[in-house]
Amino acid sequence: MAAVTLEHVGKRFGALAAVDDVSLRVEAGEFLAVLGPSGCGKSTLLRLIAGFERPDAGTISLGEQGVSGPDAFVAPEDRHVGMVFQSYALWPHMSVAGNIGYPLRVQKLAGRELARQVDAALDAVGLTGLGDRRPAELSGGQRQRVALARCLAMKARIVLLDEPLANLDVHLRARMLAEIAAFRTLSKATLVYVTHDQAEALGVADRVAVMAGGRVRQVAAPAALYRTPQDGVVSRFVGPGTVARGEVTQTYANGHAAVALFGREWQIRSAPGQGAGPVEVCIRPEDLAIVSPGNGFAASVARVLYQGGRTVVEAAPASDPGTTLSLSVRSSEPVAPGATLHLSLVDGWVIPGR
Amino acid sequence: MPWMPARRGERLTFATLLGLVVLLAVVPIARLAQEALAPHGKLDVGVLDDVVHSPAVWHAAGNTLTVSLGGAALAILLGAAFALLVSLTDIRAKKPLVFCFMMPLLIAPQVTALAWINLLGPNSTLLRALGIAPAPGSAHPLYGPGGIVLLLGLEQAPVVFLAVRAGLRALPRDLVEAAQAAGARPWRIVRTIVLPLMMPSVAAGGMLAFVGSIGNFGIPAFLGIPAGFTVLVTLIYQRLAGFGTSALSEVAALSLLLALIALCGLALNGWLARRRDVRVTAWTTATPEWTLGRLRGAVEGACWSGLFLVLALPFAALVATALVPAIGVSLTPRNFTLANFHFVLFDYAATRRAFLNSASLAATAAVMLVVMAVPLGYSLAGRRSSLRQAVGFVAELPYAVPGVVLAIAMILCLLRPLPLLGLSLYSTIWIILVAYLSRFMLLALRPVTNALRQIDPSLDEAARMSGARYARRVMTVIMPMVAPSAVAGGMLVFLMAFNELTVSALLWSSGSETVGVVLFSLEQAGDAVSAAAVAVIAVVVTLGMMLLSNGLASRVARGVLPWQP
Amino acid sequence: MKRAIRTFLISMLAAVLGAAPAIAQTGGKLVLYTSQPDRDAQRTVEGFRKKHPGVDVEIFRSGTTEVMSKLMAEVAAGAPRADVLLIADALSMERLKAADQLLAYPQADVREFPPDAYDKDKTYFGTKLITTGIIVNTQAPMRPKSWTDLLKAEARGQVALPSPLYSGAAAIHMAALTQNRAIGGGYYEKLAQNGAVALRGNGAVLNAVAGGQKMYGIIVEFMALNAKAKGSPVDFVFPAEGVSIVTEPTAILRGTKNPEAAHAFVDFLLSKEGQELAVSQGYFPARRDVKPPPGFPDVATLRILPVDISELEKRDELNKKRFAELFGG
Repeated sequence: MAAVTLEHVGKRFGALAAVDDVSLRVEAGEFLAVLGPSGCGKSTLLRLIAGFERPDAGTISLGEQGVSGPDAFVAPEDRHVGMVFQSYALWPHMSVAGNIGYPLRVQKLAGRELARQVDAALDAVGLTGLGDRRPAELSGGQRQRVALARCLAMKARIVLLDEPLANLDVHLRARMLAEIAAFRTLSKATLVYVTHDQAEALGVADRVAVMAGGRVRQVAAPAALYRTPQDGVVSRFVGPGTVARGEVTQTYANGHAAVALFGREWQIRSAPGQGAGPVEVCIRPEDLAIVSPGNGFAASVARVLYQGGRTVVEAAPASDPGTTLSLSVRSSEPVAPGATLHLSLVDGWVIPGR
Repeated sequence: MPWMPARRGERLTFATLLGLVVLLAVVPIARLAQEALAPHGKLDVGVLDDVVHSPAVWHAAGNTLTVSLGGAALAILLGAAFALLVSLTDIRAKKPLVFCFMMPLLIAPQVTALAWINLLGPNSTLLRALGIAPAPGSAHPLYGPGGIVLLLGLEQAPVVFLAVRAGLRALPRDLVEAAQAAGARPWRIVRTIVLPLMMPSVAAGGMLAFVGSIGNFGIPAFLGIPAGFTVLVTLIYQRLAGFGTSALSEVAALSLLLALIALCGLALNGWLARRRDVRVTAWTTATPEWTLGRLRGAVEGACWSGLFLVLALPFAALVATALVPAIGVSLTPRNFTLANFHFVLFDYAATRRAFLNSASLAATAAVMLVVMAVPLGYSLAGRRSSLRQAVGFVAELPYAVPGVVLAIAMILCLLRPLPLLGLSLYSTIWIILVAYLSRFMLLALRPVTNALRQIDPSLDEAARMSGARYARRVMTVIMPMVAPSAVAGGMLVFLMAFNELTVSALLWSSGSETVGVVLFSLEQAGDAVSAAAVAVIAVVVTLGMMLLSNGLASRVARGVLPWQP
Repeated sequence: MKRAIRTFLISMLAAVLGAAPAIAQTGGKLVLYTSQPDRDAQRTVEGFRKKHPGVDVEIFRSGTTEVMSKLMAEVAAGAPRADVLLIADALSMERLKAADQLLAYPQADVREFPPDAYDKDKTYFGTKLITTGIIVNTQAPMRPKSWTDLLKAEARGQVALPSPLYSGAAAIHMAALTQNRAIGGGYYEKLAQNGAVALRGNGAVLNAVAGGQKMYGIIVEFMALNAKAKGSPVDFVFPAEGVSIVTEPTAILRGTKNPEAAHAFVDFLLSKEGQELAVSQGYFPARRDVKPPPGFPDVATLRILPVDISELEKRDELNKKRFAELFGG
């Protein structure tokens, strides 16, 4: 039984379709990330699951219970779904313990038992002893942990997270991401995690749903998204790399195809049933190798970005100067802008046609 | 700003509250409109036609607009400036300063006008002492539109102050600090950051001041009539005094005109309020404090002397009047007497009853209105803004019409026994309570709706996610967060209801007289010294109640009372 | 035998006489709307209740305008509550009469009253003579003896008067003065030219003159004399040409639920006792056979300026317009 099921869910705001015919299954215990640029509808999707918006079309079910649909609507307070907001939404007039214990008080818990559960939640997120503080006195990371603790205390089976790391310092994000992963293990809850940062999504999620323009483009494990994106949008959004235009001349049975690109022909991966014709090709940085002249194609270095141990090189192929290829080299072997490189395609992926 | 879909419990509560608003505000005004358009039960626009074509009416309407806009402008200037000073700087003794600033609300307008007339008249002890007393018989400096604007502005300044102060409390500190980092000096920051963000609060306070001014009777009666300067309210009184057969419908028609003017005020308020919308996640509840450095002493001195001039002096004139044996006798150490106080406190049975009645009525009205306003404002926040505006306008009407007109409307509606219940509220103290609920609803609702506009919806959403239903959310999340504004509104209701005069003058019956009624009777009988004694006692009693509430509130919640830091 | 019969008859008579007050007593509830000053209203009701302890009196007391407004609203709502009225001036009564709101009481005993003290149709009855004269601040340079003295140069800008726009008594006064040949029809025009100021009511005039803002004022006598008695630096003058009077009339309303008690109330006010009560409150009695308060001149010595009330009622709008043009408002 899936924990969250969306079937042909749609939501319009005026003329704009924020969510357009989205169907999705989140399995129990799964950590699903919803990834997409700003305005792609991912926050709306989350709010639809939470019950803050009613869908114009389709149905939403939590477990076996239909919660949003043409004839049924269960209010947010009855869905027993936890939510971590971007601003954490900690009530300023309550202490940390008060914030965490709120859902428990709603469930009529009191006294010793209430205090025990609140303390347990505080311990779980590493905030032991801070129960009496006010949210205003905590740092950003601590506030986020309080928000997590609140979901823990609530024993929510499903937890929705709305860009929870957006307000944190960069160096804190990695740590907090680990905390969220730990939270997931501890609570055994199903997580739906909305973000625009692909590193976050790919790093922790079991599966990632990529959204753009209100539609879900592809739902797959991070590796699959990275290696076999289903369309150009997904390809560009998930991970570094380039989408180039080429032509399939021949397909083979072993999951490869012959593609004409940059003036040569290469053997790269393709989907079963891929036909001949013009295609888009997804080229990741590790798919490119620097070779001696004559064995590859020429490319002119446009930019060089030092990143510590490695350096990202952006180069334009001579045969297709409009395309920017990016590859990663060791910083101990620097490449100068304006230099000519000879590159070879060791792998690639033919993006399936529409 | 989209909030969430509603559930049955919430919808029922909302419908009930909306129904109450309709009963309290719409029904009396509709009954008045009926009286204007269909007197004696038959549709007859003759009266309305006469009113519309009468040059005297338009002249009075123009005067009303002039003094009300002027009064509101002055109130905004004084109230906002004082709120900025108290909230953003480090001047000392803020509590007593705010206490004193609120004093004009403690005194009925008639009494204030009288005190000022005495203060600046030829017989003024103070002016005589300074040697600048005007010669007897010269035109009193306060008679005319100038004096009316001055006193209206002074009276309504606390209303604006409360609104702006509540707004400043919600000002996020980082917005100011960002400007400081950009190199802006305090005055520029106030001008370009604080004031634009405060527009909604300033507009809300200014609108209250405007609407309160157009219905004000006491001040134009004392300062306008002698100068032949008529406003719509005094024109209404003329019609009533004339008691022609069409007097009631004329009065109703004129009141509709006043309501129209109030609508203009609302439109202006809406335009000003739309300018900026600040969402707060309520971290930065501490507002920035600028050090004034060397200027501080001068600023404090200016504040205190200003307060002294406009508050202490008239109050002192009032006390002086209460201490002389008869009107016109100058106060000297030899002839000062406590006989007037003795009379009103011990011999005149009505006084003690009146204080008790006024206090209970005012307190009950304040509590009931605040309890109504929070869930109502909350429900309105999640619905279409056109509904919000409609409710806002409807609540304005009973506040904008003159007190005597509202009383007439209440008589028209409540004279006969209520349907279904079969009992009549007429001739009981309850009709006064209903009138107060109707009249002062606006004062409780506005601050709450403004505060709600500033709260981040995610705080409410988080409560919903935690399983909290409507009632629990209102009590544990919404109410605490709007408490400062709600209490400020409740306080305003209390102060104005306690000193209210023109409504209860028509609605009281044996045993249910209010402080205003007692004042009115004494003043009309020519017993100005006893009236002054009652007024002084009223001020002292109210001050005492404010102090008491101070002591209680500091134990309950922080920052809830307007004069707490 | 004769003695027995006589004893029996005497005891029967005694029983009947003893029971007579009980039979004559009225009961029930009486609702009184009045604009009398509060203290006076209370004492009036107390005096009435001493004679009729079975009647429960409910008072509504406010200004004349407020009382009339309340009455009007109740009539419009279809359930007027008042049984009896006791208000300041006959002009307001005349309007109520014209609106057919008054119940005539033809049996009222008005033998001792001058004919212009009560309505010829016996719908309302004056209970006092309240005169309007001139109040003077003791520091004034001139002591006016007549109405025309107020037009002198010494009184320029120094006169306060109650506005007929807001007070029926002031309207009566205006009519009385302008109808008098000795004073002349242009009196108010000349007053306005001399810088006189119109205030809302008698109370305001008292405050202005006693407070020293104006030296002279037009006011009802009891207010000025009461203030003087308490120590205010004022004096009162009965002008030579004469004074106008308002009679503080009482009337029974058409919708009264207790006509018996209402009659008894009117009777009380018109009785010698009621009139003596008024005297003790500091007013001129309307009854000819009751002496005025000590220190007051004999009523016979007063020159009363006559006013035709019903005529005044018809010309009211015009008079008011004229006043508004002269004094603003």
